[in-house]
Amino acid sequence: MKNGSWITQTGSSTYLSEATAIWLRDLRGEFRTRYAVNAILMFAVTTLVAVSFSIGSFRIGEAEQPFLYAVLLWIILVFSALSGLSRSFVKEEEAGTMDVLKLSARPQAVFLGKLWFNLTLLGALELIVVPSFILLMNYEIKHPGLFTAMVITGGFGLGAGTTIVAAMIAQASARGALFSVLSFPLLLPLMITAIKGCEKAAVGMNGTGWPEVRIAVAYSTVMIIMSLFLFPLIWDE
Amino acid sequence: MFKDISFEVHPGEVLAVAGWNGSGKSTLLRIIAGLVRPSRGQVDMFVEDRPIPRESRRRFVGMVAPALALYDELTALENMEFFCRVRGVSYNRKSCLSMMQWVGLAENAGKQCRNYSSGMKQRLKLVQALLHKPQLLLLDEPGCNLDAKGMKIVEEVISAQRQLGMTVIASNEKRELDYADRVINLSE
Repeated sequence: MKNGSWITQTGSSTYLSEATAIWLRDLRGEFRTRYAVNAILMFAVTTLVAVSFSIGSFRIGEAEQPFLYAVLLWIILVFSALSGLSRSFVKEEEAGTMDVLKLSARPQAVFLGKLWFNLTLLGALELIVVPSFILLMNYEIKHPGLFTAMVITGGFGLGAGTTIVAAMIAQASARGALFSVLSFPLLLPLMITAIKGCEKAAVGMNGTGWPEVRIAVAYSTVMIIMSLFLFPLIWDE
Repeated sequence: MFKDISFEVHPGEVLAVAGWNGSGKSTLLRIIAGLVRPSRGQVDMFVEDRPIPRESRRRFVGMVAPALALYDELTALENMEFFCRVRGVSYNRKSCLSMMQWVGLAENAGKQCRNYSSGMKQRLKLVQALLHKPQLLLLDEPGCNLDAKGMKIVEEVISAQRQLGMTVIASNEKRELDYADRVINLSE
């Protein structure tokens, strides 16, 4: 057999098809190894249980509840995400597959594939943590629409921020510490906005145009667009 | 590391790069592939007299190297499927299986690569590098971990690549250097 004779057709790939292939490969790999899922869920569940037992609803005054519960919820979400999302690029570096990926896909497609994977993990995390938090803490939300929109857009921004930082630290030696140190200032504005938005949703301050949701959408958009420009430079060396 | 190197490779040609350990054979191949930027100098690639920019070079390059790993948690067939899809090659399970048959891996196509021996992984890397019919095939120590049957496959690959494009081999093994039309020694 001559090499190449087995492939019936070679075509051209698009950013979308490359990113989808990377996303599906990461999902398949994660389904088998469960490195990131285990790290994220274990952190989320233990923190959630610790918070609900130590400062359950009976210990916080009704007036402080909307703000403090929003703070606790976002602390759990952000730090759970930080415990696992750095894996998206680090695993490629550790497994020695970084170069083969560089030879196979365009940098922007790699970034998008990894971003979708991280967003999938965050979506699963939020689906488990947010309803559990509401039930365990007896969290009363007067404006569920705003609350849901804030959790979704906040999660989107969290995914966008952590994905680019994960790419930056993948080839560094002290990855774990560096990931938290670099992520924190980048995620702080988003975290403050998300806390404010969830607090407003809890007290029923609808406001006009959901400014916190719009800020989170703008943050995510800017972060993704800037990352698409920045990522090829990080990926190249 | 090496300096003042200049050479051309033409379609149908097989070039070998030899040299002591640490002389920069693998680095030279990585520079040609576009994985590393040279501190000085440049690599120009032309396909049908058209210059190919560094960022597009991956479409025309297939590479096998000890440091280039495949996905251990996927099966061999899933690895093939991934590389087909990400490179825009239409995936066909039957033709992929016949490819695996050719390199002697068909019976283990459904096994996760973590359970493969190093020789089996090397055979799979060869298949991965050829999926998109590259014009330039870069082989860094292609016989690494291969038995006599595996070496025969490498020989067939190099021979067939003469029809498709060019090959650059980095090695110190006499048998592998014998495949080449020319040898550049980085230690000289």
